Amino acid sequence: MSGVASPFRQAGAERVDPLLVALWIALIIVAVVWIAPFIFIIFTSLKSNATVMGTGAFSPPTSLAWENFTNAWRRGDFGTTVVNSTIITVIKVPLGLMISAMAAYSLSRIQVWGHKVVFLAIVFGTMIPFQVMLAPIFGVVNDFHLINTYVGVILPYLAFGVPYQVFILHSFFREVPRELSEAAQIDGASHFTIFWRIFLPVSLPVLAALLILDFVATWNEFAMALVILQDPNMWTLPLGLQSFQSQFSSHYGELNAAIVMTVLPAVIVYLIFQRYFVSGLTTGAVKE
Amino acid sequence: MLLAPAVLAYAVFAFYPMIDVIQLSFMKWNGLNADKHWVGLDNYRYVLHDDPVFWVAFKNTLIWTFLSVIFPPLIGFGLALGLNQNIPGRSPLRALFYMPVIIAPIAVATMWRWMFDPFFGLFNSLLSAAGWPNLIQDWLGDRNVALYSVFIGYVWEVAGFSMVLFLAGLQGVSQTLVEAARIDGAGRFQLFRYVTLPALRPTITIVLILSLINSLKAFDIVYGMTGGGPAQSTQMLAMWAYTQAMQLGDFGRGSAISVVLLLITVAIVIPYLRWTLKRQEAYQ
Repeated sequence: MSGVASPFRQAGAERVDPLLVALWIALIIVAVVWIAPFIFIIFTSLKSNATVMGTGAFSPPTSLAWENFTNAWRRGDFGTTVVNSTIITVIKVPLGLMISAMAAYSLSRIQVWGHKVVFLAIVFGTMIPFQVMLAPIFGVVNDFHLINTYVGVILPYLAFGVPYQVFILHSFFREVPRELSEAAQIDGASHFTIFWRIFLPVSLPVLAALLILDFVATWNEFAMALVILQDPNMWTLPLGLQSFQSQFSSHYGELNAAIVMTVLPAVIVYLIFQRYFVSGLTTGAVKE
Repeated sequence: MLLAPAVLAYAVFAFYPMIDVIQLSFMKWNGLNADKHWVGLDNYRYVLHDDPVFWVAFKNTLIWTFLSVIFPPLIGFGLALGLNQNIPGRSPLRALFYMPVIIAPIAVATMWRWMFDPFFGLFNSLLSAAGWPNLIQDWLGDRNVALYSVFIGYVWEVAGFSMVLFLAGLQGVSQTLVEAARIDGAGRFQLFRYVTLPALRPTITIVLILSLINSLKAFDIVYGMTGGGPAQSTQMLAMWAYTQAMQLGDFGRGSAISVVLLLITVAIVIPYLRWTLKRQEAYQ
């Protein structure tokens, strides 16, 4: 409450607490360490190769080599990978949230029968890492002849996104007062109407949190895309960056420009929607 | 009916592969043509007995998991404790520590690979500037050092995740309890030991389990930084399963490795599920 006005004091105390000041200094030092990689990457992205080799790691670039960005964009074929990443994310994220919300709604209606089993199955699903079974996933997608297609990567994304989102939404839907939906049911509303008109609007903050988390997760996903999207024309941003790194690792400035361009969209989304990240994460894990 | 799309997608693309991987682990198949036949336990015999890389990967996965359960949660806990105090700049600091979590792991790998560059990278430049040239390493090229170098990047990437969970847990510590203990004359460390820590027990369990599970998922960062090298010194089970199946074209052997890893994961998840269920019942 008075936190901003009088920092470094214990609640109710008048004096400045020396331990808190020491703690704060320690945090600032850690923060400097944490931010150093970002600064190093940004500096390098604006240096020509000669400057990288000739000057110190943290000396700021003297003349800004913006051409690193345009060169990296062209060489790394960012035009293609950005479009692919955008298409996949824009389709997958809302669609996945929709089917998860529908599933969570119907699960919250099942009261007696098997609700413990369903709950266990969902939590189990959230914990099994798909990195463990990349090859069989490739096998299934291949059986559907969907290798190198958007659909082929979106379907497994949907499948592995479902458990966590259902888990969160289910625990939220359970708290919606029963009177609300029963009243609507008496008025003759269908399940779909109740879901659409009552449950979705009341859970907007949770949906927003999940949307943002899933946007970043989908945008960043690498391993599954690596297995399914093998044609360079279908690559997403992370695949493009990895290939750029293996081909042009000695074009220091351009490599770092490529990193900055890959990372920037997620960082911007994060900075804008920061509080949703925290709420989306913690509702799931800590409170449940 | 509203349930159908989610269940269908999960059954076909998540649950079926889990079953399929078990089946494939008893077969010989290159993943492409129709020639797929039963070979019994051959794959397991090869992987567990004849394959020299498997046990290296197994050992590395153990070391990695062990370190992942200790360091990122400890750092996250320290940061959360600090940020939970009455100090200026809490929000920007929190935002900064969490930032690496939202960056693509493959980008984190690329960043750190460049920082570890033996000639112009951050670490060696700093060491030579500081006058400690004898500490200069080929961070990712030396097989005794590489695994730990990758791990340092991993700590930077994931510590913020533990921090956020601990912060949420700390906010759940009852302030009335804290006040009461303070009035009773409890000192700072008594307060921490007898009020805060017990209240954080569930959070600590959750953070440790999630760190454990996430450490088994570490694929991107190793793939991007070293690809398992040099001389398999950073090879891990998840990546070795991928390499066997997708790069060496032996789905049977790859699946056998996956099954071993899956069994390890399940052995961790099931006790956790029982614990969650008990809490869930207590809560209702």
